[in-house]
Amino acid sequence: MIQLEGIEKVYRTERIETVALTNINLTVGEGEFISIMGPSGSGKSTLLNVIGLLDVPTGGKVALNSKPVTSYSDRNLARVRNEEIGFVFQTFHLIHDLSVVDNVEIPLLYRKGISSSERRKLALRALDRVGLHARVHHFPGQLSGGQQQRVAIARAIVGNPRILLADEPTGNLDSQMGDEIMDVLKGLNENEKTTVVMVTHDPRQAEKTERVVRLFDGRQVS
Amino acid sequence: MTKHLLKLVWNRKRINFLITVEIFFSFIVLFGVVLAAVYYVDNYNQPLGFAYENVWRVAVEMNDRGEDSQSSQIAQTDGTTPKEPTEKAEPVTATTFKQLIASAKEFDEVEAVATATVTPYGDGTDTSAIGDDSHPIRYGVNVVSDDYLQTLGLTLTRGRWFGKEDDGANYQPVVINERLSRDVFGDADPLGKELRRPNLPPKQEEEKRTPMRIVGVISEFRKDGEYTAPENFLFARQLLNNQMSREPRCLMLKVRSGTTAEFEEKVIKRFQSVAKDWSFEIEPVTKMRETANTFRLAPLIAGTLVAGFLMLMVAMGLTGVLWQNVTQRTREIGLRRAKGATARRIHKQILAELVIIATFGLIFGVAAVVQFPLLDVIGDISSRVFSLSILISLAVIYALTAVCGLYPSWMATKVQPAEALHYE
Repeated sequence: MIQLEGIEKVYRTERIETVALTNINLTVGEGEFISIMGPSGSGKSTLLNVIGLLDVPTGGKVALNSKPVTSYSDRNLARVRNEEIGFVFQTFHLIHDLSVVDNVEIPLLYRKGISSSERRKLALRALDRVGLHARVHHFPGQLSGGQQQRVAIARAIVGNPRILLADEPTGNLDSQMGDEIMDVLKGLNENEKTTVVMVTHDPRQAEKTERVVRLFDGRQVS
Repeated sequence: MTKHLLKLVWNRKRINFLITVEIFFSFIVLFGVVLAAVYYVDNYNQPLGFAYENVWRVAVEMNDRGEDSQSSQIAQTDGTTPKEPTEKAEPVTATTFKQLIASAKEFDEVEAVATATVTPYGDGTDTSAIGDDSHPIRYGVNVVSDDYLQTLGLTLTRGRWFGKEDDGANYQPVVINERLSRDVFGDADPLGKELRRPNLPPKQEEEKRTPMRIVGVISEFRKDGEYTAPENFLFARQLLNNQMSREPRCLMLKVRSGTTAEFEEKVIKRFQSVAKDWSFEIEPVTKMRETANTFRLAPLIAGTLVAGFLMLMVAMGLTGVLWQNVTQRTREIGLRRAKGATARRIHKQILAELVIIATFGLIFGVAAVVQFPLLDVIGDISSRVFSLSILISLAVIYALTAVCGLYPSWMATKVQPAEALHYE
């Protein structure tokens, strides 16, 4: 499903050069649920961004479903992000001026051939899947952190992506809410065979995944 | 997507309020300037009705005003008691004007000469009206001598100009323009019809004045020039005999092409020899036109400068506000990129949002300006000019907002999605 081969990422400015990732080789199979762990600054989020085509590696190859995507145009990258990948972020990244259901509809706005009514139907179904069908017309500011993350998950899965990338999805939540979010991700992985790659600091949450990839100073240590 | 953007703009109405207000006021100011400009251009493109090239106006100042009343006595002064005149004698003014016309015609440089009471592009004006008090039809008046048609190159469309055939007639021959004919008679032929003066019952009118009979129609005559709205106009015949009721104010000379300013002196000298107590001042109508048009265009130029400055301020303000807006929304832009938006899509979205915000301001702006005709604050401006001015103003504001949004929206596409998502 996801193949990384010799991934390098270096951030260069006029004065300094920061190596974020060095020779990362990783394969994630279809339907797998893995976690990426490591201390702050070890390159976890950078690696997730490279997998999610949000960042371009300095070297190496990225392939999704055996197709190399490293040289894709902006248009093709956007299409893959829209159709193949769902993102969940630590800080939710909800648009506070839009209602819950409008937030969930966002990925479908960038997909061709979906009518307004179809969009609404799919968004409501996604909210139902994360147990938020009663809050569809609320605004993000009216929800708890856990509820906001559920909205973010609903937004990530509304387009039925095969890959879900979660960047510390429980990082801003208390343990109970964090567990609830993990249950949702687990459910998606087990019931719908969605491949999940999760970055986390929390060993307790990492234990719930099938495999843990550890990074240290941009290198893969396990 | 449009519905999504509308919702987003509406939900951010507090943030967008200032831009909307800015666009509203810009539209109002711009509309005022555009309306004036379109009005002038529209007027300019309509026929003037006369030829001003190689036409000189000789302003006549008749300093000795006592002569006319004495003229009949002077003619009969022989030491005896003057007899009661059997017929009103010709005023000296009329005689002098006839002499002036004759002397002007002696010059080879002069092609035609006529007297007039009003000059094209001149300050003086003479208006009258017909119809009832509630719906008067107003028109400009110029009392001119028989050669005025040739002197000013007027175009007759129906009937004839007045001339010797009207001598001794029991009516006052008049020539009107097509506009006045339409206003008074509609599609009917005005020739031979009489124009009734206002505020006088028919009987009283009969007693006091000779009826005005239309003998001809000219295409147009726009006394104040090409930038003013066409108006109704009437030419009455100037009699230079004992029937003269109004004194001419000037002489109009049609000179040959290439006649230089030096000829002015010769004319004045000749005229001065004819009428020693009168004074004359010659000015080419082209020069009068230049002065009058400069005077008319000055407020428009000033308005354009003010509006241009305002637009520049608005443009800079808008660009700044949008730039700030885009910067504040960097994370949202990153999110949209992560969810499948291309850089081009983001660029278009920012511009589309701006167009929607501008549309809100413009809806209020248009709603405000359409009140102007109802409140009668812009005078007699045609609906065509009014509508066109609205359309031009809308186009300019939309273009301005689009140009202002180009750079900030382009900046928004330059941020890498991963970087945008972590923007603080």
